Amino acid sequence: MATNEPEHEHRDVEEAGANEDEDTGAQVAPIVRLEEVAVTTGEEDEDAVLDLKSKLYRFDKEANQWKERGAGTVKLLKHKSTGKIRLVMRQSKTLKICANHFVTQGMSVQEHVGNEKSCVWHARDFADGELKDELFCIRFASIENCKAFMQKFNEVAESEVEKEESRDASDTAGLLEKLTVEETKTEEKPVEKEKTEVEADEKKKDEPEKAGEEKKTEEASPST
Amino acid sequence: MALPNQQTVDYPSFKLVIVGDGGTGKTTFVKRHLTGEFEKKYEPTIGVEVHPLDFFTNCGKIRFYCWDTAGQEKFGGLRDGYYIHGQCAVIMFDVTARLTYKNVPTWHRDLCRVCENIPIVLCGNKVDVKNRQVKAKQVTFHRKKNLQYYEISAKSNYNFEKPFLYLARKLAGDPNLHFVESPALAPPEVQIDMAAQQQHEAELAAAASQPLPDDDDDTFE
Repeated sequence: MATNEPEHEHRDVEEAGANEDEDTGAQVAPIVRLEEVAVTTGEEDEDAVLDLKSKLYRFDKEANQWKERGAGTVKLLKHKSTGKIRLVMRQSKTLKICANHFVTQGMSVQEHVGNEKSCVWHARDFADGELKDELFCIRFASIENCKAFMQKFNEVAESEVEKEESRDASDTAGLLEKLTVEETKTEEKPVEKEKTEVEADEKKKDEPEKAGEEKKTEEASPST
Repeated sequence: MALPNQQTVDYPSFKLVIVGDGGTGKTTFVKRHLTGEFEKKYEPTIGVEVHPLDFFTNCGKIRFYCWDTAGQEKFGGLRDGYYIHGQCAVIMFDVTARLTYKNVPTWHRDLCRVCENIPIVLCGNKVDVKNRQVKAKQVTFHRKKNLQYYEISAKSNYNFEKPFLYLARKLAGDPNLHFVESPALAPPEVQIDMAAQQQHEAELAAAASQPLPDDDDDTFE
């Protein structure tokens, strides 16, 4: 009888809260019957290229201030087949989505004035299932993490520019051979590969001549 | 139960009634879950505000219609009228204001007159504050009345998911129910509009000079 609830009752219950998971609630009859369902994260076809604890804010233009959006894990996810990279952030515990958008050409993450642990960017965000213009600020536990995030983000956005450019260039060549190019996104990848192979072949053919030409000009240049 | 003007959903939904003294943080708690923000400014709720709040669980998506009721007597509106068909409840008090805990029995009695045998969670909010007036071991009401008790902080997010998790488990009769990742759908392709882009850049530059609301806080959960 003496000590059913031993010492830990006296231990610091003030900070931690007494017996977290003890159920003192009444027995009530359930009102729904729920079956276990298959869980999909929507991230199954992607690999995380970055994964950091952080706190996200969105800018409230009317109030002219940053407001918290969530605290949890921010990820940069690279799609296994398309190679596209998006940013997904989830609230810890509830695992709800706070941000969800592609990192694309022209985007850039910038410094947050006076704070080396945070940075800002603009995105067309899809967290709520509809596209919304958002100004985001993200804060990390350390300056290093913030730097790592900024570097990776901008690296991705810049490589997106390169991708776009090379696509433009190869499009012209590709169009001559295949008029159906880029009809669907799923075709994009293999078609591109073909194109690069074709280009590579062409280059090989060109190279000897070019090299020859260059030599000629080099030889010629001193005399001029 | 949804309001007449609120769209119904094809997944399980529950009417959750939130009561407690004015200023204990009911609205701030709901808002935290809705948008992520932490509202410091106190604006008393008039009557009631109903907000749908969705959660993803291993048993599918569920929704709580949160009836965030006025705590202040003068703004009470229909009072008990809001409790009708309530399927679960949260009673909130403020651990930094003793009187709000003293009033818990009144809120509980009024609630139980209308809603019999529903799962109820008692929440002691603002546990992040150093100077507490109600210590954890002084909270005993839940044991007498068979309620679940959680110490929470809408400010630090401490235990902020627990009340919903507990209620969901009770309503479904499944102690193993838990929250899971909501599916991160692929965002649609975005066309870049150069004019709009410039405007965003300008807005971003202005926003970048604004400080964060909680820069001092370095905890990352």
